[in-house]
Amino acid sequence: MRRLFDLAYGRSGDKGNIANVSVIARTPEDYAEIKAKLTAERVKAFYGDLVPGNVIRYELDNIEALNFVLHGALDGGATRSLRIDPLGKSLAGILLSMEWDT
Amino acid sequence: MLRIGSAQGFYGDDVTRALPMIEGGHVDVVCFEALSELTLAILRKDMLANPARGYTFDVSIIAREILPKAFARKIPLITNGGGLNPTAAAQMIRDTAAKAGLTGLKVAAVTGDDILARLPELQAAGERFLNMDTGEALADAANQAFVTANVYLGAAPIVEALQNGADIVITGRVADPCLYLAPMIAKYGWAWDDWDRLAAGIVAGHLLECTGQVVGGNSIAAMNLLDPADLAHLGYPIAHVHEDGTFVLTKTPGTAGCVSVETVKEQLLYEIHDPAHYLTPDVTANFTTLRLTPDGENRVRVAGVTGEPRPEKLKVSMGRMEGYMRELIFTLGYPAVWRKYELLQGMIAESWKGLPIERVVYHRLGIDSLFEKVSVAPDYPDELVVRVMFTAADPDTLKTAVRRVMANGLSCPPGMSVSGSTVGGDPRVILGLWSSLIGRDHVQPLVTYLEV
Repeated sequence: MRRLFDLAYGRSGDKGNIANVSVIARTPEDYAEIKAKLTAERVKAFYGDLVPGNVIRYELDNIEALNFVLHGALDGGATRSLRIDPLGKSLAGILLSMEWDT
Repeated sequence: MLRIGSAQGFYGDDVTRALPMIEGGHVDVVCFEALSELTLAILRKDMLANPARGYTFDVSIIAREILPKAFARKIPLITNGGGLNPTAAAQMIRDTAAKAGLTGLKVAAVTGDDILARLPELQAAGERFLNMDTGEALADAANQAFVTANVYLGAAPIVEALQNGADIVITGRVADPCLYLAPMIAKYGWAWDDWDRLAAGIVAGHLLECTGQVVGGNSIAAMNLLDPADLAHLGYPIAHVHEDGTFVLTKTPGTAGCVSVETVKEQLLYEIHDPAHYLTPDVTANFTTLRLTPDGENRVRVAGVTGEPRPEKLKVSMGRMEGYMRELIFTLGYPAVWRKYELLQGMIAESWKGLPIERVVYHRLGIDSLFEKVSVAPDYPDELVVRVMFTAADPDTLKTAVRRVMANGLSCPPGMSVSGSTVGGDPRVILGLWSSLIGRDHVQPLVTYLEV
């Protein structure tokens, strides 16, 4: 069984209480597959309670990548959060653990 | 071609990575990006204790160790590490340079971003400072206990300083990528409505501004390509920018790390929202038209960036003190870790009865502290590392809270241990942020010069 990590890599970061997660395809074929199937709804469902707000998806065909903006995902943001990862640096990694061929 | 080095991405970064760039003759200018909202609040605390402070300590290292070498080679330095007090930082730089025997050196300080003292006046002039997240208008600045209020300035005052021959430009809050855009405009004379080229400069700045993150740091794409020892001394990035706005992203030659199309993609999308409308004070940059092509070892060519007119208003970020947070870490082991976890929580809650503790959060490290319910937690782990975070309006309450918990040292759940460094730790500031916009006509950046 493949995971999203087999098709993509990425990075996450913060802006206030909003996190963003990039998902960058490893090949053009991977990009076509990710673009078709990795919807904002699917990402929102994956994170569950971790992302109380909207998930917005942006497409970058030029670099074969998607950018997901996760609203309300950082426990108030870097200056207020009590989490051990207040910047959400680990959020990209766990998305890549998503089981892909299910 | 203009070769721009980046040697700082946050307050505390290793600014001496500028030295191999400068001494190796690899750059024409070096930029240092030091600020965040939290950094500005910390600098306010420094400044309240000593009015001659309010700038980052890194500026002292730059003045002492880097400026003499850069000045000897006529390489200008640009930094926003002036924080809340670029004027005092400029004086310190001048004094340091004079002591080192440098002569003919020009220090430029850029001010005008700090509007904290002007908030009531600006409100009277019609600025409502509508909260960008909630739409709420700022009630009365005087009642809000703000400790910082800074406008994100663009590149213009730095361009002015460079064109007037400054050897080092020290600013307060300038939008991160605009620090890097400024030397391009100063060299090439790009028009302020040449949106495509300004946007290209912003993309270069965005790729440079997090130093190590584009040369193998924080990189899933590069993690298997680096030697574990490399991360502690990555060679920081350099952009070779051409007059038409195209550029090559590379790194300091002869140093550890890697630049690839993959590391550039990772950094391009770092901390951005809509990639077709990346807002900066000087231009709205579009990241969706550019092309990345490999251009030899550790070199990536970037072309095709487009831009649109700059936003009408400037962004303002204000910070206010909301209290303090404190951390304690406990370990629990087999048998019956979950029962012990219950005992620990009960012990702490009872100890804090009557204390004005505001928030208490328990994290189970290694189990679900990063991903909460997304993680698959084991039913009966052999070890449980418990992190307790708690907050209060004043640091003394937190001190009392720690003392009361520790008084149960011999009455604790069986086999419990506590991380000694967390017991001896310091409270951390909690800062509330208010982001809004301000009319450009209400912001007047000022450049002043000191000479040795």
